[in-house]
Amino acid sequence: MMLSRAARPALRAGAVVSRPVAINGTPAATYATLREIEDRLKSIRNIEKITKTMKIVASTKLTRAQRAMNESRSYGQTSQQVFKEAETKPVEAEGKKSLLVVCSSDKGLCGGIHSGMTRRVRAIMGNTAKDYDIVVVGEKCKAQLSRSNAKQIQLSFAGIGKDVPTFADAQAIADQISLLPTDYSSIDIMYNKFNNATSYEPIIIEAFSEESIKESPNFAAFEIDDEVLGNLREYAMANSLFWALAEGHACEQSARRNAMDNASKNAGDMITKFQILFNRTRQAVITGELVEIITGASASEE
Amino acid sequence: MAFAWKASGLTYNRYLAVAARVVRRSLKEDKRIQAERRGEMELRFAKWTNGKQGENKSLGAANEAAMAEAAGSQAQSS
Repeated sequence: MMLSRAARPALRAGAVVSRPVAINGTPAATYATLREIEDRLKSIRNIEKITKTMKIVASTKLTRAQRAMNESRSYGQTSQQVFKEAETKPVEAEGKKSLLVVCSSDKGLCGGIHSGMTRRVRAIMGNTAKDYDIVVVGEKCKAQLSRSNAKQIQLSFAGIGKDVPTFADAQAIADQISLLPTDYSSIDIMYNKFNNATSYEPIIIEAFSEESIKESPNFAAFEIDDEVLGNLREYAMANSLFWALAEGHACEQSARRNAMDNASKNAGDMITKFQILFNRTRQAVITGELVEIITGASASEE
Repeated sequence: MAFAWKASGLTYNRYLAVAARVVRRSLKEDKRIQAERRGEMELRFAKWTNGKQGENKSLGAANEAAMAEAAGSQAQSS
């Protein structure tokens, strides 16, 4: 027992010392030592494993998210249908503010969909004469927008994006928005529209204020009392929000899947590259050692 | 006031949420667990003033508090 334990450190020390010497003996072979390359290879393999797993998780979540998106679409579109039939237009009121609701999520690692949305918000802020206030849903856009438009942010919501958004989420957000003290002339909800599995674009749906609903040309056909108009507006906002959240969620999952797919691919490329480098270096080391032995042997022969 | 829930300070969305919760709770056991997952809401929110983020609060509790307040003020005015 004692012997083997005592012998081992010596062995190990010997191995460590001998290796750099052998490599330094052949400077043309490589700049990195074998062990360094091996360590990198190992860590890249681990990263590949992680990204692959995340991709699989995102894929399964994506199918659920897409189903939820298709279901939620009927909520949003039915509610929008009313305003389309009534030909509701946002009222351009002087001195009244508009509200922009940005639907992102808490989680990253999904490519550029959050920053795409932030960029769009900044573009709108730069180009419009309207006075906008912002409500941000999700930590990611909040962090980005708080750097550029912190003064305009009124509310921020967190905790979204863990799972498929529920209607209860949308209702609670709609309630809190309607509790805001300022009276907004129009409320724009911005979300990522799901074009197909690889392309999304931030677009806007509108939730109208009570006056603009009242003043729409064909609204009388619906025979809605003024008293319940506020209910309709709140409910329509919840519907639109639910639609936006669900579609944004599907986009995020799909973007995450793509991002993780690319990451795994890149890791695979790096692994092959490092494997080749590793093999070459090992060969060079062996050749160098052989040369040393042979020259040593031939020198002692004479 | 035409609606009892409006008089007690609820918004239409809150009224719907309460109604939906009651329906979910009256379902049979196996379906109820599935359905109740759809009613969960664990959002947090923060109010911003002058570019500074306020305290992070639970959204559900804040909504309830706001509605209780609305009920109180309505009772006084009527």
